[in-house]
Amino acid sequence: MKIKYLIAVAVVSLLITGNTACKKTFNPSTAIDENSALTSEADIETATIGTYALFKAEAYVRSGYFFTEYPTDEVAQGQNSSDDLSNIYKYTPIKTSSHAANFWSSAYKSISAANRVIEAIDDNASLPLRQLKGENLYIRAMLHFNLVRIFARPYSQNPTVNLGVPILKEGLTDDEKLTLARSNVNTVYDFIVADLLKASTLMNQPKSNSFASKEVAYALLSRVYLYMEKNAESIEYADKVINSGRYNLLSSGEYPTYFRGAPDGNKETIFCIRHIKTEDRGFSAIGSMYFSGDASGNALNQAASGWGEIYASKKLYDALNVNPQDLRLKFISPLTENGVVKLNNKITPNAPMYYINKYSLQEGIVNLSSPVYLRLAEMYLNKAEANAKISGKEQLALDDVNKIRTRAGIPILTLAGLATSGKSVLDAVLEERWFELSFEGHRAYDLFRNNRPLIRNYPGTGTSTNQIVQPGDSKIIAFIPQNEVDKNNKLIQNP
Amino acid sequence: MKIKPLLLLGGVVVLSFNNGYAFTTKSTTENLNVISVLNEKLTEDNIVQLTRITGTVKDKAGLPIPGVSISVKNTKVGVLTDNNGKYIIDAEVGSILVFSFTGFKSQEIRIENDTSIDVNLEEMSTELGTVLVVGYSTKKQSEISGSVSVVTGEKLRDVTSNELSSLLQGKAPGVVVSTASGSPTSGSNIIIRGAGSINASTDPLIVVDGNIGGNYNPTDVETITILKDAAATGLYGSRAANGVIIVTTKTGKAGVTKVDFNSSMGYSEASTGNFKLMNTAQLYDYQSKFYTGLTPERLNNDTDWWNLAFRTGMVNSHTASASGGSENTKFYVSGNYYKEEGTLINNDKTGYNFRTNISQKLSEKFNLSVLLNGIFTKDNYNASGALYDAYVNLPFDPAFNGDLTPVDSRYGTWYGRDRDNFMHTLQYNTSKAKSLNVSADINLDYKIIKNLTFSTYNRGKLVNYRSDSFSDKRSKDGATNNGSASASTSYTNTFLTSNRLRYSNTFGKHNLAVLAVGEIEYGYAESLGANVKNLPAGRDAFSTATDIVTNPTSGNDTYQFSKYLGQADYNYDNRYFAVASYVTEYSSRFGSNNPSGNFYQLGASWIISNEAFFKNVKPVTSLKLRASYGTTGNAYGIGYYAALGLYSISSGASYAGLPGAAPSQKANPDLTWEKSKAANIGLDITLFKRIELSIDAYHKQAASLLFFRPLPATTGYNGVYENVGNVRNRGVEFNLTTKNFVKAFKWETNFNMAFNRNKVLEVNQGRNEVSNGARQPIAVGHDMDEWFMPVWSGVNPDNGAPLWENRVKDADGKEFLSYTSNYNAASRVYTGKSSAPKFTGGLSNNFEYKNFSLSTFFNFVYGNYVYNESRFLFDSDGLYESYNQMQLASGWNRWEKPGDLVTHPKPVHGRADNANALSTRFLEDGSYIRLRNVTLGYNLPTSWLTKAKINKARIFISGDNIWTLTKFSGTDPEVELRTGESYIKYPISRKLLFGLNVSL
Repeated sequence: MKIKYLIAVAVVSLLITGNTACKKTFNPSTAIDENSALTSEADIETATIGTYALFKAEAYVRSGYFFTEYPTDEVAQGQNSSDDLSNIYKYTPIKTSSHAANFWSSAYKSISAANRVIEAIDDNASLPLRQLKGENLYIRAMLHFNLVRIFARPYSQNPTVNLGVPILKEGLTDDEKLTLARSNVNTVYDFIVADLLKASTLMNQPKSNSFASKEVAYALLSRVYLYMEKNAESIEYADKVINSGRYNLLSSGEYPTYFRGAPDGNKETIFCIRHIKTEDRGFSAIGSMYFSGDASGNALNQAASGWGEIYASKKLYDALNVNPQDLRLKFISPLTENGVVKLNNKITPNAPMYYINKYSLQEGIVNLSSPVYLRLAEMYLNKAEANAKISGKEQLALDDVNKIRTRAGIPILTLAGLATSGKSVLDAVLEERWFELSFEGHRAYDLFRNNRPLIRNYPGTGTSTNQIVQPGDSKIIAFIPQNEVDKNNKLIQNP
Repeated sequence: MKIKPLLLLGGVVVLSFNNGYAFTTKSTTENLNVISVLNEKLTEDNIVQLTRITGTVKDKAGLPIPGVSISVKNTKVGVLTDNNGKYIIDAEVGSILVFSFTGFKSQEIRIENDTSIDVNLEEMSTELGTVLVVGYSTKKQSEISGSVSVVTGEKLRDVTSNELSSLLQGKAPGVVVSTASGSPTSGSNIIIRGAGSINASTDPLIVVDGNIGGNYNPTDVETITILKDAAATGLYGSRAANGVIIVTTKTGKAGVTKVDFNSSMGYSEASTGNFKLMNTAQLYDYQSKFYTGLTPERLNNDTDWWNLAFRTGMVNSHTASASGGSENTKFYVSGNYYKEEGTLINNDKTGYNFRTNISQKLSEKFNLSVLLNGIFTKDNYNASGALYDAYVNLPFDPAFNGDLTPVDSRYGTWYGRDRDNFMHTLQYNTSKAKSLNVSADINLDYKIIKNLTFSTYNRGKLVNYRSDSFSDKRSKDGATNNGSASASTSYTNTFLTSNRLRYSNTFGKHNLAVLAVGEIEYGYAESLGANVKNLPAGRDAFSTATDIVTNPTSGNDTYQFSKYLGQADYNYDNRYFAVASYVTEYSSRFGSNNPSGNFYQLGASWIISNEAFFKNVKPVTSLKLRASYGTTGNAYGIGYYAALGLYSISSGASYAGLPGAAPSQKANPDLTWEKSKAANIGLDITLFKRIELSIDAYHKQAASLLFFRPLPATTGYNGVYENVGNVRNRGVEFNLTTKNFVKAFKWETNFNMAFNRNKVLEVNQGRNEVSNGARQPIAVGHDMDEWFMPVWSGVNPDNGAPLWENRVKDADGKEFLSYTSNYNAASRVYTGKSSAPKFTGGLSNNFEYKNFSLSTFFNFVYGNYVYNESRFLFDSDGLYESYNQMQLASGWNRWEKPGDLVTHPKPVHGRADNANALSTRFLEDGSYIRLRNVTLGYNLPTSWLTKAKINKARIFISGDNIWTLTKFSGTDPEVELRTGESYIKYPISRKLLFGLNVSL
C-alpha cells in the first residue's frame, strides 16, 4: 500500500509541475497592449505623442532631410562617401536607396499611428480630444506632403496624370493597406488640403512650436497652395499666420543665433521637430555632415564632432558674400587655417570647407538640432512669391522680400533697381528664398516647380562641376523603394 | 539501473589518462608466470587449506586502483584494495578470485600455486559499449537508434580556448563551427546539419547535466554528446530543431582522492595569411599614378599601423581539481584561471571558474546530487577603433611626435580619412565588461520500487553583467561631450524544475523502459543603461556635475516554458531496438490561439552482429543499422512577446520630453512553434576490432518556420511574425576511426566529414524571396545562403574600365550575354555560390610510443564563398586616396595601358563607376584546411615520480592554428558562415603553449 501511495505522489508531483503556473502569459515592461492603448483621453494624448515620436525618428528626419536638401545648389559634397546620401547629392538615384526606404517606411508608420487616433475620436468629441484629432490630421497631411514632394513629380507638371503616393487614410481594411496603390498627384494634394483645413477647424489650443496648432496648419496650407500655384489662397493663409499675432521675425541681433537656443521660446518658429537635450544624435545628426567643432561653435578639423563632409556651395557663399554684412553668412562657419579657408583636397577641384551650422549647437550641444519645418520668414516669402506671380502686385512682393533683407542687414530692392539689373520680381523672390531658407529643404522644389533648372557650377563630387538639372529630368524624384514595390505589386515604380 | 553509476565513474576514467578507447591490457596471467613457494600454514583445526594471496590491481596506465572488490567466487569472502591498489586475501587453492570495479571489466583468476597475483583491469569502454548521456537518460551507445556524436573532454581540450564552441570545431561530423572574430572575448557560431530556420535561431540547444541551459566551463567537461536526428533529440524535440549539445561535467569516483593540476602558458600572434598592406613607398608610388593631390611631404613618415595595433598576447590557463569519495559520497571540486590577451592591443579576457559536484547516497532508495558552478569573467575591449585603423590608416601619418608622445590627430596635417590615431585615444579611453554566472542544481533520485524511479532535477541560475565604456575629455571621442561614459547592467535568472518518473523492466528477452516527464522553466531578465557626459579627465565615475547624453533605459522581461513528455524504449534480446516519444510544450512567447506545440519522434535499430547467423562473420566485430523519423521544434530567436499587438512606451515613443505610446508590433495570436520533420538512416560498423565507421544520411525539412513576414509600409509595420516558409537540408556525414597500430607504438586516426545541401522550398504567399535585392535574398529554389549580385567580368583591356555581365532576354525569352561598364546596367543574378560550405570536416591523428605522445588535428571547410567586404576600402582602385591599400595578392595586376589583360581596373581618383561596389569581384573562395592543433606530450617516468609522491606527470608543447592553406586574399578565411562576410576581420590567433599536467 505504501508503494502505491508513493507512486501516486510521484505522478501527482509530475502533473503539478505542468499545471501550476502552466500557460502563463507575460507582457513587456516597455510596451503596452494595443487593445488598451486608446481607451481614455489621457491614453489618446499619449498615443498622439507617439505619432510625433515616429516622425522624430532618425529614419524620417535624417533620411528625409537628405532628399529635400542635398540635391540643391546650396551644398557641395566635399569628398566621396559610400553612404547612399551620395546618390541623392549626385542625382544618381537607385531603386534600393536605404534613405528612401527609411523615409517611406517611417512616414507611413507615423501616418498609420495618426489614423488610429483619428479613428478613435469623434468629430464632436470634447475640445481637448478635437485638438488631438486635429494634430493627428495635421501630421498625416504633412507626411503625405513630404512623401509626394520626394517621390512624385511637382504639382506643376500634369498633376492629374502623374502618380503621387498611396493615400493612407483612416478606416481602411487590412487587405486594402496591403495593396494600396499610388493616387495621382492632384488627388494627394487635395487630400492634404482637406486634412489641413479640417485640422485647422478642430485645433483650438495654442500649443508650443513643437506641436501642431491652428496656425501651424495654416502655415502649411500657405506652402501647399503655393506649390499648387493657388496664389490667392497661399497669400490668404500666410496672412492668417502673420496676423495671428503669435509669431514675430527675430531681430537682427537675435537672428544669427536663431538655431542655437531652445526652440520653445523662439517667436519665429511655427513648427519644428523638437529634439530635447537627450536626443543628441551625435555623428548621425544632420549637423554632423555639415560641421565639426566644439560646443562654442568654433570650427575644428573633420571628425572632431562630426564628419564635416558637406559644405555650403561656393556658389551660395559667393552670392551671399556680395553683401559681406549679410547676417545669413553667420550660418556658415568656414574652417580656416591662418585666416585662409581650408580646402578639402580629397576631390579635384578642391571644395572650400564652408561648414554649415544651422543644424548644430542647440542649447550648447554640438550635434543637437530641432529641424525647423515652418517659420515666419517663409510666410513672408510665400506671400512674396504668390504676389510676384499676380500681375500688379509686384511691389507687395518686394515689400515682403525687403522685410527679410532688412532683417538680414542688407540693402532693400526696388522695382527700378531690378529693372536695371534685368531681373524679374520672381527672380528676386526666388533668390531671397535661396538666401533666407538655405539648407532648409526648399531650394530644389522652388526651382523645379517654377520650371527652372538647377545649376551647379562649383566644386563638389561627381564627374562634372558644371551640372545642369532640368525640371523635367526623371532624376529629380526618388524611386519608390524597391522593397516596397516587392511587397505590394500595386505600387508602380517611377520611370 | 547500473547504467548511472557506470556513467558517473566511466568519466573519471578519462581523468586518469586514457583517451577513451582502451583496447589492450597486458594479460594478467602472462605477468604472473612465476610460481612462488607455497607458504602453507597448517593449523590444528584447519580442514580447508587457505593460501594468502597478495597483489596490486592497476589500470591500463599502470596506476593502482583503490576500492576494487576482490571476492572468492561462490562465497561471501571479499576484500577491497587499499589506496595503493594492494590487497590481501586468504583463499583456497583452486578457488576463483573475482576482481570487479565499476567501469572496468571483471576478471576471474583461478588460484593455482600463486601467492602474489597482480591484476591489470581493463576498462569497459569500447566504442559500442560507451555509456552516453542522451537527454533524460543514459544509454549504451549500442542501444541508441538516433544519430549521436561524442567528444570526450580530452579530445575537446587539445586547442586552448575558454569557449566550448571554438573547441568543438572539426571534432564531430555535421557540427559546423565558425568564428567571426579572433578576439578572446567573442564566441563562435555552431550550426548542426545546416541552417533550417530563416528568422528564428539556428543555434543548437545546450543541455548541461541533464537540464536545458546552465553553466559550464570547458575545463570541467567530461563529455560532449551531440544529438543530431529526431530520435536522438527526442525529449528535447520541442526545442531541438537545430540539434542538441549535451554537456556533462565531471564527477568523482569512489576510492582514493585524486588531485590534478593542469597548467599551460604561452603566447599568441595574429595570423595575417595572404594579406599585406602597403608601406609609404608602395602607396606613394601607387597613388602617383592617379592622385594629383599627392604631395612629397607624405614620404616623411612610414607608419606601420598594423604593427602598432597588434602584439604578441600571453595565454594562461591553470586548473586545480580534486575528486574522489566513497561508495556513498562522491565529489569533484575544481578551480580554473584563464587569461588570454588578444593579439589586438588593449583586448583581453580573464575568467575564473569554480565548480563543486557532490553526490550522496542518502539511503538504498535515495540519491542526492548537488552541482554548483560559478564563473566570473572580465573582458577588456579595445576602446579606440584600432582594428579598423590598422587596416585603413595611412602610413603617411605619424603615430608619434618627436618626443614619442602620441600625435593628437585632430590637429594639424592628417592625410587619413578618419583623422584617428588610436595610440592617442588608448592613453585615456577604456571599454570593459564583467559578468558573474552562478548556477546551482539539486537533483534527487528516489527508487520507489525495484523497477520504478522518481527523479527531480532542479536548477537556479543567475547572471549579472555590467559593461562600461569611457571616453576621456582629452581624447578625440570624448572631447565633444567634455568626457563621456556609458554603463549598462543586466540581471537574469532562470529557474527550472524537471520531474521524471522512470519504469524499466525485463521480461525474458524483452527489455522495456518508460519515462514520463513534467518540466517548467521560468526566466526573468532586467537591464538598466545610462549614457552620460561632462566628466573630469581620467574619471569615469558619475557625479553631481554629470549630465546625460541620452535618456536612461530600463526594462524587464519574463518568459515561461512548460512541457510534458513521454517516452518508451524497447529492445528485444539486444538485437532489435525501438524508441518512441511524444512531447507537448507550452511557451509564453507564442500567441493565445496556439501557445503549445506537439512533437513526436520514432527510432529503431537493429544490431545485426548480435544475430546468431552473424556470429561467424569474424571480420565484422559489430554491425548496426539505425533509422529515425520525427518532428522537432524551435522557439528561439524571436522576441519574448512576438505574438502580441503592442504600443511601445520606450524613449523612442516620446516626443518633446513627454512620454508617448506608438504602435510597435502587429499582433498575430496564431503564432506558434516552428516545426521541422527529420528523417535519418545510419550504419555503424566495426571491422577487425580496429576500424569503426559510422555513416548517416538525413533529410530535414522545416515547415511553418518562424518567419518575419515583411509588410508594406502602408500597414504601419515593418512586418509580422508568421509560421510560413519551408527549408530543406539534406546531407551525408561519416565518422571513421582506425587503430592503425596498437602495440608499443600506437597510432589512431579519426576522420570525419559532412556534406550538407540546403534549399529553400517556400517563403510565403506567392513571394519568391525573403529579402528582395539583398545579397543573400533567401530565395525559393536556392540555397538559403546563396549570393545574389552582379557578375564581375574583369577589366576592359581597351580602357581599363570595369566590366560586368549584362544578361538581356529578347522577346522569345532567349538570353543574350553582353558586358557593360555601367554598373546600373549590370544584371543581378544568383551566382550559384553560397556562404555555406559544400563540406566540412576534421582529421586527427594520435601517436603514442612509450612515454611520448603526439597528436595532430586538421579541420577543413570547402566550397563556401566569402564576401570580402573590406576590399571596398583597401582595394578601391583609387576611389579612396585617404585609406591605405592592400598589396596586390599573387596573380593580381592593374591595368596600365591598352591591351592589358588584368584583374584590376585603371585606378581613377574618386571614381564614380562603382568598380568596387557589390559584385562577384570581392566574392572569394573561402575554402581552407588548417592545422588546428599539434600537441607533443611526454609522460615523466614513474621512477622519477614515486619519490615525489606524484602518480603521474606529463609535459607538453601545443600549437594552435599553426598552418592554413587557402586562396582567400584576406588575413583569414574563417568567417561566420551564415553571413559569409569578412569585414575588418580580427584575425584568429596562432598560439604556442607549454603545459604541465600533474596528478597526485
